[in-house]
Amino acid sequence: MKYLTLILKNIRRNPLRTLLTAMGTMMLVCVVTLIWSVLSFLDRQTSEKSQNLKLIVTERWQLPSQMPLSYADILSKGAPREPNDLTIADRDSMTWQFFGGSTEEDPRNRSPDSILFAFALEPPKLATMMDELDELGGSVAAEFQRVVDKLAANRQGLVVGQSRLDLLKQKVGGRLTLFSLNYPGIKLDLEIVGTFPPGRYDLSAAIHRDYLSSAMDQYERETGRRHPMIDRTLNLVWLRVKDRQEMAQVAQQIESSPQFRNPQVKVETASSGIAAFLEAYRTLIWGMRWLLMPAIITVLAVIIANAISISVRERRTELAVLKVLGFRPNQLLCLVVMEALAIGVSAGLSSALATYLLINLGFGGVTFPIAFFSKFFIPWEAVVLGTIVGAGTALAGSVVPAWSARSVKVSEVFAKVA
Amino acid sequence: MLTEATLRWIGGLGAAIVCVCLLAISGAVPLRYNFRNLTVRWRTTLLTVIAFTFVIGLLTVMLSFVNGMQRLTESSGRDTNVLVISASATDEAFSSLTPEAVSGIENLPGISREGEQPLCSRETYLVVNQPIEQPRSEGPKRRFLQLRGVDNAEIAARVHEVRLHPGGSWFSAAGVQQGDADDDETVVEAVIGEGAARELGRDASNWQRDSVKALGRLDVGDTISMGGRRWRIVGVMQSAGSTMDSEIWTYRPLVAFIFGKQSYTTVVARCASSAAAGKLAQFLEKEYKVAPIKAFVETAYYAGLSGTNQQFTVAIMVVAFVMAVGGVFGIMNTMFAAISQRIKDIGVMRIIGFSRTQILTSFMLESLLIAFVGAATGCLLGSLVHGLSATSVVGSGQGGGGKTVVLKLVVDSGILSKGMILGIVMGFVGGLLPAGGAMRLKPLDAVR
Repeated sequence: MKYLTLILKNIRRNPLRTLLTAMGTMMLVCVVTLIWSVLSFLDRQTSEKSQNLKLIVTERWQLPSQMPLSYADILSKGAPREPNDLTIADRDSMTWQFFGGSTEEDPRNRSPDSILFAFALEPPKLATMMDELDELGGSVAAEFQRVVDKLAANRQGLVVGQSRLDLLKQKVGGRLTLFSLNYPGIKLDLEIVGTFPPGRYDLSAAIHRDYLSSAMDQYERETGRRHPMIDRTLNLVWLRVKDRQEMAQVAQQIESSPQFRNPQVKVETASSGIAAFLEAYRTLIWGMRWLLMPAIITVLAVIIANAISISVRERRTELAVLKVLGFRPNQLLCLVVMEALAIGVSAGLSSALATYLLINLGFGGVTFPIAFFSKFFIPWEAVVLGTIVGAGTALAGSVVPAWSARSVKVSEVFAKVA
Repeated sequence: MLTEATLRWIGGLGAAIVCVCLLAISGAVPLRYNFRNLTVRWRTTLLTVIAFTFVIGLLTVMLSFVNGMQRLTESSGRDTNVLVISASATDEAFSSLTPEAVSGIENLPGISREGEQPLCSRETYLVVNQPIEQPRSEGPKRRFLQLRGVDNAEIAARVHEVRLHPGGSWFSAAGVQQGDADDDETVVEAVIGEGAARELGRDASNWQRDSVKALGRLDVGDTISMGGRRWRIVGVMQSAGSTMDSEIWTYRPLVAFIFGKQSYTTVVARCASSAAAGKLAQFLEKEYKVAPIKAFVETAYYAGLSGTNQQFTVAIMVVAFVMAVGGVFGIMNTMFAAISQRIKDIGVMRIIGFSRTQILTSFMLESLLIAFVGAATGCLLGSLVHGLSATSVVGSGQGGGGKTVVLKLVVDSGILSKGMILGIVMGFVGGLLPAGGAMRLKPLDAVR
């Protein structure tokens, strides 16, 4: 206990230095926490699972994937042909059609804030198949289910993320007309029926797929010709399977089916698909992981080492006195290390906690567009990581000064004093 | 001739040196006093310099990445070219132009001609999924390749001002050639950008091609697999520094046949001058009624792909700012320690006649010297990445589209200037408070 008191007293002896070291640590831990959050999210998205897998079916050779809507029903079932073939249950599939539109009819008046990209899908699948939304629980899930039900009941409904809603200067219950960017001549009159739960889908939107289909039918009735996108309107089919064995079977069923020849399709895990997209950002991700993070941690260790070594140098006489009073060299070493750890842990913890609260609750995520991810949130694990980084760098930075404290020679110090 | 960037660099470095020199001249405290203090406390000085070096070095590397992207988008495209895509498209990849729309464009006045042939390239651009033949265990199983089908390779080369490396040729009229002797199947002829050739050459450990060993990239005669067919490289484009560097070109009808993409995506027309190009783009945008289209002077189109660069720049600035603040706290610690160790010195100096301003100057000078050395070392180390290859995506930054590009990291005078200025500012801000504290010390209190 006395030992602990001594540590605290030493920390409080030069409050300015302690404050500066803690502030420096906090700033750098904040950056480490942010970068780690982005990297860990991307890692989670690209790590292959062995159970409860999500598969994506897309056009085999081209990007963007554009398949005829006639593929949708068969692909959603996993393309079973034989009695023993596996059939995907309705709740375990979802189709996506991308609809990009602007609230401005005149292209010259369009700005990023007036543009909306929406998934056209079967409304119930929002709650059962969309990543993260299918894992909601409690009151958030119940609230979102009400929004989904409203979209299912209203073909012209629109569910939109809160951030996008703010950019559009709209509110729930409001109406807007979207002039399509990727479906020439199509405009959709939509009613905002609700918002996504805060998080990943803050900038996204979802519409009823039947409304998009009927808008294309209407185009044909009005112009007398089929819409040019009619055979390329299905972008993606999601399937959920139990394990890798089921995945292999479904992939075999689909890829060998004669029904998908023009265009051909491919089946892959969602993580594999995302990894292919992220390949273009290879250098950036490598740089963040192997250059930025280590360099920041090094700077952090250097700042702590500097502060602790200054502190040890200033206290050589006191350390010599402690030795005379019976403190063993290793106790002095521990004293210095514990001081550094106390600063590192408290600064690391408070910085990571502040980053977690500020980014997630204050800013509603950190905006860093990479592939199709636009916003990142700080997971709670980052708070633990921040504390560990603070502790680790404090330990690394204090080893040499602590060794120096341990090696203080009483005779030399008192000779100088004398 | 000195470029604007060089002038900026000279300006930044000059300002830093002038700042230090002015302080040295205006301060009556001899400069060697400061040097000696820094060398006596060499461990503390060194640790602070290391922190500065890392912060500025990282900033240099990060900015060189964005600079490489910026250079790429700036040097892609010609101001005498007009690029046309369909009205609803946000990017070439989403464009769809009918043959009627395209043929209507190429006969318009203002487009340069070579004999009877208008210098107008009709193209189909698409992004292709390529399964990686022997993927690394942890790596992705496929990659995206950018394929451009052109109707007439010679015309396309003239319009885009692209040349081939010696030993290469443009694809034949048929666009295919006989495969290996023991293989009846024909192979598709393709011309490849240098960057794409380097990227695909990364699988060299699997292929062990002689060309990859010699050149670090694929070369004429090498084959790749794409769209279920074998493709033979018949030429490598001298395309470094443009987005074409990451593309593969082939005969357009084969793109339609293999990938089922029948429509054109892009028309690029060559005009006699930039003024003529501007006029043509305006005409196409406002008065062309054959099909709904968008027309850009090509340089404006590529400038619009700098949205990603801006997003990255903002992110880098945020990271650099937070790191810089951390560095400032570091140097504050050092300077406060320096002052607390020399309180008696300060008292003596004040007693023998040095003014408060001279004391302030002396300590500021120390702080700035540390910052200067750290920043210069950081710039120097950061410069080592100059010329290295990297991959990224350039796009409008509004989602949808974007081009995967292979770029070179560029450390230029502008970046070095920013690094030096940030370093000096960090040193100034970090030194100001401690130096101010030293200045306010009362002589008798200090020596007591």
